[in-house]
Amino acid sequence: MKVRVKMIGPLMYEAGFSEKEVDVTAGTTADALLDLIAVSRQRPRIMTRNGRAVAPEEVLEDGDKIAVSPIYSGG
Amino acid sequence: MYGWTGNILRINLTTNAIKKETYSEEFARTWVGGRGFAAKILYDELKPGIDPLGPDNKFVVAVGPIAGIPAPNTGKTVVAAKSPLTGGYGDGNLGTRITEHLRRCGYDVLIVEGRAAAPTYIYLQDDEVHLLPADEIWGKGTYATHDWLYAKYGRASGVLSIGQAGETMSLYAMVRSLEGRAGGRPGMGAVMGSKNLKAVVAKGTKAIPQADPQGMKALGAGDLKKVGELDKKSGWSRQSTNGVLAWCNEVAALPVRNMRKTHHPDAWKVDGERVHAARVATYGCPNCTMRCGITIHDHEGRESELDYENIGMLGPNLEIFDLDQVGSLNYMCDDYGFDTISAGASLAFYADAIDRGDTRGDFKFGDAERAKELLTLASRREGIGDLIAQGSLRMARRFGRGSESYAMQCKGLEMAAYNCKFCPGMALAFATAPIGGTHKESWVITYELNQAKRESYGPEKAAKVMELQRIRGGLFEFLTACRFPWVELGWGLENYPIYFNKITGLNWTLDDFWKTSDRVYALIKLFWLRENPAIDRTFDYPPAVWFDPANADTEGPIAGKILERDKYDSLLQHFYDFRQWDRRGIPTRKLIGVLGLEAEAAGAEKFGKLE
Repeated sequence: MKVRVKMIGPLMYEAGFSEKEVDVTAGTTADALLDLIAVSRQRPRIMTRNGRAVAPEEVLEDGDKIAVSPIYSGG
Repeated sequence: MYGWTGNILRINLTTNAIKKETYSEEFARTWVGGRGFAAKILYDELKPGIDPLGPDNKFVVAVGPIAGIPAPNTGKTVVAAKSPLTGGYGDGNLGTRITEHLRRCGYDVLIVEGRAAAPTYIYLQDDEVHLLPADEIWGKGTYATHDWLYAKYGRASGVLSIGQAGETMSLYAMVRSLEGRAGGRPGMGAVMGSKNLKAVVAKGTKAIPQADPQGMKALGAGDLKKVGELDKKSGWSRQSTNGVLAWCNEVAALPVRNMRKTHHPDAWKVDGERVHAARVATYGCPNCTMRCGITIHDHEGRESELDYENIGMLGPNLEIFDLDQVGSLNYMCDDYGFDTISAGASLAFYADAIDRGDTRGDFKFGDAERAKELLTLASRREGIGDLIAQGSLRMARRFGRGSESYAMQCKGLEMAAYNCKFCPGMALAFATAPIGGTHKESWVITYELNQAKRESYGPEKAAKVMELQRIRGGLFEFLTACRFPWVELGWGLENYPIYFNKITGLNWTLDDFWKTSDRVYALIKLFWLRENPAIDRTFDYPPAVWFDPANADTEGPIAGKILERDKYDSLLQHFYDFRQWDRRGIPTRKLIGVLGLEAEAAGAEKFGKLE
């Protein structure tokens, strides 16, 4: 199945892309997705799934839009 | 006394009287500096009910004990006065070389009173104080004004100035410094203009008194380097604050179309990636190693320095998605000396009011060229520009027809670029900020959307708002330093008492700063009470449209969701309980005793009773 991944802020330079589709197997969690896009699980971040906060252990579904952002704290 | 110069410079522009005053160590320890000094001085010296644009108002420039000393990131200065936009306490901070030069001239505070008979600027050089004619720069924008002053006094001098918006007393005119720095959103530039004060220039060479100057020098230099390394490692300043835009769009918190919508498919065109790609230069404040000022070429080819709030309010909120046009609107605001947030919100409110049929006009969302014309009219106070220059709340009251619900402001100050249609905690942060709808006191939205449940109205959110107010609106505004090393790079808060103690020779902990913060927030609330004796808890409510089911998104992450009034009210009560404020949002008598504000409260009680 496929999920669409958007990298936000400086994370896009670390991951080497801004937005792309990623093939994932059924049962892939939000945390496991990070391994597929070469982002350290230790990297402080906020992840959303279709605009809502997602827990690391949450299982993704086909067609999900995942955004990975640094923890911004204020302009 | 170390750390503080102990000196205030008071200038009366009506009489040309110049007084050098001293303040006590007790005053320093009670109010610390920056916002603390400004709030106390304005509370003590302003008679309630005065005209904010009359000679009785005072323009205060104040710095804190670590300001100007090389350490992370100490280039900030607070500007304050009674606000002509809100009628309450107003302030803001900006990065400027004034910070260090004011202290090197021997002062921590400058108070400007009265009104000059003709356009004037103030020039300080160590002990010398000059009041000089500003005829040659009156009528000029801030860029030309700065260039003129730099040619005379050198680029290393400290300069604060206003543009045409300050001169014509637009109610959200700001104070400008350096390339794109601005501060004092609730009309501090208008207060300067009302005094015929075009600029303040300072060049100082004196030493800033420090308990351990050698130790501080080594510590500060080392820590500045470490912060720079942290920034490089995280990559934060590649997009700076502009990275936030894409996140707000993802989570449906972007201001779009006067905050009526929360996300937009074209938002990517003005996001941080595009700003970084268009970068032509990078600027920063003094004593900063994580410079956040990214400039791009605007539609007319000028260098325009952008951050997230500028883009959010002048871009998506106006449904303008051409980055160079957003850059042009931003440049014009900086040059005229308008606050970009209130300017964007006021223009968006105007377009929305026309859309709803509350008024007639020819401005539509997405029309960048007409937005530019309207900004120019506002800077001259001509035609409809005269109304736009007064902000969204006054416009709404003029239009009537219930349009006040759509004025996206709190206490009269337009809210920054976070659409809280379904963010109860951030709505509380805007509504309880002590100067009106600013994001700077408590940026609780990432906590709210990541660590808490978005739909929660629980006490955890109220507690977080207060915790952040103590840090952001307290500690950093007193010291006066930029919060970014802490907030964006994780630079430890515990470093700040270390700097403070090294400079002052005291032995403070963060708890001492929290108590000072509670004292200053309470004092500012008393300031509002004196100006508004009938104050109640609705004073701390966000705009009514966020409670309106008809305003809910019809698609996307928060489809069908809105703020619920009764639940918001309970969230507000949690906040009052934590603050020990009564049901009207006024500090209780018990708290006044704990904070040592009995004398100040006695004055306020002539206007409204404490419980």
